[in-house]
Amino acid sequence: MYSIDVKAWYIAKKNIKEKLKNLGSMFWTVAFPIMMLLVYKLAFSEGTEEGMINGLTIFEVEFPGIVVYTIGMSSVTSAVMFAMSKIDGTLERIDSMPVSRGNVFLGAVISESIFMNLQLILVFGFGYGVLGAHFELAMLPLGYLIAMIFGIGCIGLGLIIASFLGSPEGANGIAMLTHMSLMFVSGSFFPLDNAGVFFTPQYWVKQVYLQLTVVGNSFTDLLYSGNIILPSSTASVFPIWSGILIILAFTSTFIFLGVKIFQKKTTL
Amino acid sequence: MNVSIKEKAQIKNSKPTQFFENGHSTEFIIEVRDLAKSFNGLKAVDRINLKIRKGELFSLLGPNGAGKSTTIRMLTTVLKPTNGDARIKDFSLIEEKNKIKPLIGVCPQENVVFGALTAEDNVEFVGRMHGMDPVEMKKRSKNLLEKMNIAGRKKPVKSFSGGMKRRLNLVMSLIHQPQILFLDEPTAGLDPQARRLVWDFIKDLKNTGVTIILTTHDMLEADALSDHIAIMDLGKIIAFGTLEELKSSSSNGNILEFSFSSRDELIQAKSKLERINNVKNISEMDNNKLIISFTGGVMTFKREILREIESFKALHFREDSLEDIFLKLTGRGLRD
Ligand SMILES: Nc1ncnc2c1ncn2[C@@H]1O[C@H](COP(=O)(O)OP(=O)(O)OP(=O)(O)O)[C@@H](O)[C@H]1O
Ligand SMILES: [Mg+2]
Repeated sequence: MYSIDVKAWYIAKKNIKEKLKNLGSMFWTVAFPIMMLLVYKLAFSEGTEEGMINGLTIFEVEFPGIVVYTIGMSSVTSAVMFAMSKIDGTLERIDSMPVSRGNVFLGAVISESIFMNLQLILVFGFGYGVLGAHFELAMLPLGYLIAMIFGIGCIGLGLIIASFLGSPEGANGIAMLTHMSLMFVSGSFFPLDNAGVFFTPQYWVKQVYLQLTVVGNSFTDLLYSGNIILPSSTASVFPIWSGILIILAFTSTFIFLGVKIFQKKTTL
Repeated sequence: MNVSIKEKAQIKNSKPTQFFENGHSTEFIIEVRDLAKSFNGLKAVDRINLKIRKGELFSLLGPNGAGKSTTIRMLTTVLKPTNGDARIKDFSLIEEKNKIKPLIGVCPQENVVFGALTAEDNVEFVGRMHGMDPVEMKKRSKNLLEKMNIAGRKKPVKSFSGGMKRRLNLVMSLIHQPQILFLDEPTAGLDPQARRLVWDFIKDLKNTGVTIILTTHDMLEADALSDHIAIMDLGKIIAFGTLEELKSSSSNGNILEFSFSSRDELIQAKSKLERINNVKNISEMDNNKLIISFTGGVMTFKREILREIESFKALHFREDSLEDIFLKLTGRGLRD
């Protein structure tokens, strides 16, 4: 194995150039979350009983879910990218050069993260700037860190999916299905009262985000009343760091599995 | 006749190489020993042995599915052999493939380009992966792209024609000045003019001391470029030598191409030909054609034939070519 070095950056640069030439394909990764934000904001009118959860607007409660969706899309884009590299010969071509697979993965993580950042800025900018979601400036670094850690885990998930699929179309379909199912099962779009949510990383990311974004509106009180951290009973508040640990565990597992499985499946 | 080449190949192949036990000669930059690859029981490459000299151009000639690309993919470290090993320069393919990668350049059979990038970006990506100095890399890239007639285009490579992509792949394979260059059908899909350009380019390259291993199913190409040729079929090396060696060991060098207007005509003629003493080998081709190799003088043979066979469309005498050698070894044409 070669070491990980500056070549990862050149791989990332190449990936970025490729993505920039193909911006159209990124449209839906941003358009969909913005559309959902508008739905949450406009469809449930503020101040009415069915538009509120414990004094918070549905928009406020769901905004973190949309952030989770945006980050989670990187599992789809990276699954497509890795599946593509398997069939178009580029992976094999790179294998014939003095470059480690570590550099290939790191290069992908760098380029995916850069685009994930762009998408996050757009979604945050729209949510906070245009639609007026609540925002705790002090929590920004932590929120950002969580987004990145979760996002990298999603790249691992994309890698696992790409390992098993022979075509970018197949990878796209399965990754999208996985992503959407996880979004629903974790209650990220609409709160679910089901213990299954605990097994999805999305759930924890959203919970951490809820604490970050709505904390100014006496969030803790709201949690104790039970309706936000579904499917909780009245007192299931978890400290923010335990949520972060869970997200970290998810990311390390998926990156580890992704790299292992992809290596095994593509070493001829 | 054909047995002699086969025997010759076997003698060359069966020599124990022992390249790692007792050191090795510097004459050969690549020694392949019992290299094999099976895909689900199909022996794509079946225990081949090869020795390739430093600085020579070595051709692997064979029909579709012979195992040429599989051999190249193993030697370029991307495909794991199921058996055997190779020494490439000072390193074992199995044990030290990471030491081999910096030495080699690869032009795969199927074009591999990053379609959204420009030609320069594609070439420079390979240069970067080989840790080239950027100034040197840009200079060399420009120069090579010019030589291949694809310089100065700022458009993404996906808008290139197939032949242009082919030439770009060639440049990508050697931007980093590899000591050993693997070209898998370098001229596939090129028009005659571009093909000539690439041939001249490869000849020039050879003069700079690079060892080149190329595959082809085009005997003209093997003829035009090679120092040594290995003929491959069904995963095995069935003959090996210089072009002259292959030709001289295969026959006395006389071939008759016999065309008929119908299959009946052909069958009649074939049965008569089989009774003629000088005939060494008869191969039936598509479009009612027979290829006959024979011994003795052309004129006497012609007279004898014309006495026996009356109805035919055309007949044509010529010298033995690589294609005929292949035909004799396998009983099939190169393009079957
Ligand atoms: N990945 C693979 N899986 C299964 N079989 C394979 C694979 N790659 C090659 N083969 C088989 O191995 C044999 C040799 O293939 P190879 O590509 O090496 O031939 P080739 O000499 O390069 O032919 P061509 O002139 O068509 O390029 C063929 O029968 C092919 O079907
Ligand atoms: Mg081939």
